[in-house]
Amino acid sequence: MFLIQEAIEVSEVQLTVHVAKDGEQAVQFFDRVDGDSDMPCPALVILDINLPKKQGGDVLKHMRQSRKCSGALVLVVSTSDSAQDRERMAKLGADGYFRKPSAYDEFMKLGEIVKKLLNGPPLKEIDSPR
Amino acid sequence: MTRNHAKALAALSAGANLPQIVFAEIMETLPAAMYMTDAQGRLTYFNRAAAKLSGRTPEIGTDRWCVTWKLFLPDGTPLPHDQCPMAVALKGGDVPTGIEYIAERPDGTRFWFTPYPAVLRDAEGQIIGGVNLLIDITDRKNAKLQIDEQFRAIIETTPECVKIVARDGTLLFMNPPGLAMVGASCADTVTDKNIYNVIAPEDRERFREFNETICGGKKGSLQFEIVGLNGERHHMETHAAPLRLTDGTTVHLAVTHDVTERKRAERASLLLNAIVDSSEDAIISKDLDGVITSWNKSAERLFGYTAGEALGKTVADLLIPEDRQDEEPNILARLRNGERVDHFETVRRRKDGSLIDISLTISPVKNLEGVIIGASKIARDITESKRIQARLLESEARFRQLADTMPQIVWTARPDGRVDYYNERWYEFTGFSRVAFEESNPESILHPDDIEETRRSWYTAVRSGEPYNVEHRFRDRRENRWRWFVGRAIPVRDAANNVVKWFGTCTDIDEQKRVEDQLRRANRDLEQFAFSASHDLQEPLRSVKIYSELLAKRHSDKLDSDALTFLTFLRNGATRMETLVCDLLSYTQATTFDGPDELVDAREVLKTTLENLRGAIEDSSAEITADPLPSLPVARTHLQQLFQNLIGNAIKYRSPERPPAIHLRAERQNEYWIFSVTDNGIGIDPEYKEKIFGLFKRLHSSDEYSGTGIGLAICQRIVDRYQGRIWVESELGRGSTFRFTLPL
Repeated sequence: MFLIQEAIEVSEVQLTVHVAKDGEQAVQFFDRVDGDSDMPCPALVILDINLPKKQGGDVLKHMRQSRKCSGALVLVVSTSDSAQDRERMAKLGADGYFRKPSAYDEFMKLGEIVKKLLNGPPLKEIDSPR
Repeated sequence: MTRNHAKALAALSAGANLPQIVFAEIMETLPAAMYMTDAQGRLTYFNRAAAKLSGRTPEIGTDRWCVTWKLFLPDGTPLPHDQCPMAVALKGGDVPTGIEYIAERPDGTRFWFTPYPAVLRDAEGQIIGGVNLLIDITDRKNAKLQIDEQFRAIIETTPECVKIVARDGTLLFMNPPGLAMVGASCADTVTDKNIYNVIAPEDRERFREFNETICGGKKGSLQFEIVGLNGERHHMETHAAPLRLTDGTTVHLAVTHDVTERKRAERASLLLNAIVDSSEDAIISKDLDGVITSWNKSAERLFGYTAGEALGKTVADLLIPEDRQDEEPNILARLRNGERVDHFETVRRRKDGSLIDISLTISPVKNLEGVIIGASKIARDITESKRIQARLLESEARFRQLADTMPQIVWTARPDGRVDYYNERWYEFTGFSRVAFEESNPESILHPDDIEETRRSWYTAVRSGEPYNVEHRFRDRRENRWRWFVGRAIPVRDAANNVVKWFGTCTDIDEQKRVEDQLRRANRDLEQFAFSASHDLQEPLRSVKIYSELLAKRHSDKLDSDALTFLTFLRNGATRMETLVCDLLSYTQATTFDGPDELVDAREVLKTTLENLRGAIEDSSAEITADPLPSLPVARTHLQQLFQNLIGNAIKYRSPERPPAIHLRAERQNEYWIFSVTDNGIGIDPEYKEKIFGLFKRLHSSDEYSGTGIGLAICQRIVDRYQGRIWVESELGRGSTFRFTLPL
């Protein structure tokens, strides 16, 4: 969490960040957006795969079926490097995939990717070096 | 002698005044039979010729009307004497002349004659008597018949063909039976009126020569075949003689008969004789008293008696042992009733006294009128089949004994799939009755879910003749639970490859099955655990690494040199742990991917591998070469992992004395490829040849060589997945060759 926020700060993108602590909270968040006309849909959802209570895939599936947020951009951020996970999340409608690196400098590159996603046309495969 | 002449004679005797003695003298010398009667027809006189012709001595004054014994009309009907021409004339009737009659003598001989009766009258015209002259015409009659009526009758009523043929083959005459034989309605319809046209082509020349011979004046006979106008072939036998015509030419007169039937019968009889003689079975015929009337070669062979010794003897005396003498009267009684005796197995005695087992089939023989006159008897030697049967029983007993000692359920089935035997284990397991075989219904103890599949497998096997192999559950009545069995059966075939029997077993695999299941479950759990663990382990490791880095980066001014060194240890440990987790993850995933259906080009995989290893290759100045590599049906990632691990190891464990030289090769052997990776590195102590493929097995500390001890375990796991093998051949200090097999 700390590193993601730092990476966004470093990239100098102006964002309001909402944080859900687990899969269940994330699902509840999308339901609340759907039910409250004052709450806007997030421009970008940064999603891990391995989440407590509800898996990232289930959260994504739920979001894509929601009234207001079905079209939001989704960037998957995960420690998993398995091809299966990448393929599964792409199929569910992820717009990008970032594998969490174990070096600080590498991690900071996430900010650039978030910037590109928000400004440019959606990239299907945004990757980090392996 | 005429009628006028007779009248004159009558006039002479009555009217002319000739002395009686002279008259009598004349009458006696007459060569014709003559007699005289009074007006009532009573015999008054007869001459010697009359007595001779009639064959009797007529009685004067007693015989009336005629001197003959018996009279007949020409058609053979008897004629009473008082209606004979003489009687008719005396009674004033008109007598027609020239009528022929037949008379019979007392000795039974007959003769033909023509009577010439005349009436004698006195001066007033009163009938005073009669005179009759009998002219014998027998010779003439016979002669005429011989030439004419009789001959015609003969040639027309004979069933033989009678024909007259000219020297050039022209058919001059043929009787109706002959025409019927050649299929013609009259002689004119025979083609060109020429006899040669109906002779079978192969016999035509012979017949022409024969015709020439006959017309040349010689007698002869010939057998030949004809092809009738209707296309039918007949076999003919002809007897011919030359016939001289009034114009001086000689023609061929022949009586020919159809011997086709006789020939056929001869052939059939020859065939029958041949069959009887060549039969393996003894064929004997006997009359109803049991006397032997025929005896073939096999009978000689079987019983030892020659035909000469056997014919005329009774079966009872010759062949039947003392203790079976009651059989023959029984058999003869049944034959007299017209019954057949089929496959009667008994014992007979040979000439040398030895006994043989035979099977008898006896049928009554009837004559043309349908009366039973004897029997034909076929005797077959069954000593051999008895012996085989005994041996069969013995081998079956042995088989059962063996089957009963086996720990499995053993059964046999007929070619149609019906089970006809179970061993002791079956009865022990099922508790079914050993006596009531129909109680043994396998389906009654089969798990309901397995009935359909088991039935289908068995029917398929029986239909195709392929071995049967199926796993199913049987109810174990003793433990009151289901047990797994594998049912297997193979067909036993005869020389003609027909299935004659099925030999089957049911083997208890319950324990094995349970262990397998447990093992599978344990493996699956372990994989699942390893996968989740390595996933979940990565996240905290990453945190340790990244925050220790941040600590060193942002707070180094607050840390002393000891703390910084510890931080480095912390990061190195985390890095090693990360590699370990990563490798463990690929190990668990090594078999979870399904291989692709298309072929993978090993050369391309090698290219990618070398690309990935570029850093290590450049650092070590390794030289890597390869023979041509094939395409094969495996997952690309699997082949890549194999190459990467083996080549990576070859570089890692290089000799400090020389730059690494690594060579790849693939050879085809039977149903698979053998890949080899040969290096010139440090080599492996033979003691550890097997051990190195185990998980986390390392021969060196991580200070000497980095690594997790998972690479070769991954290789082992991948080749296992393809039912392949991996092994190493090595010499310490010289290098190693790793080999692995993959499917074609």
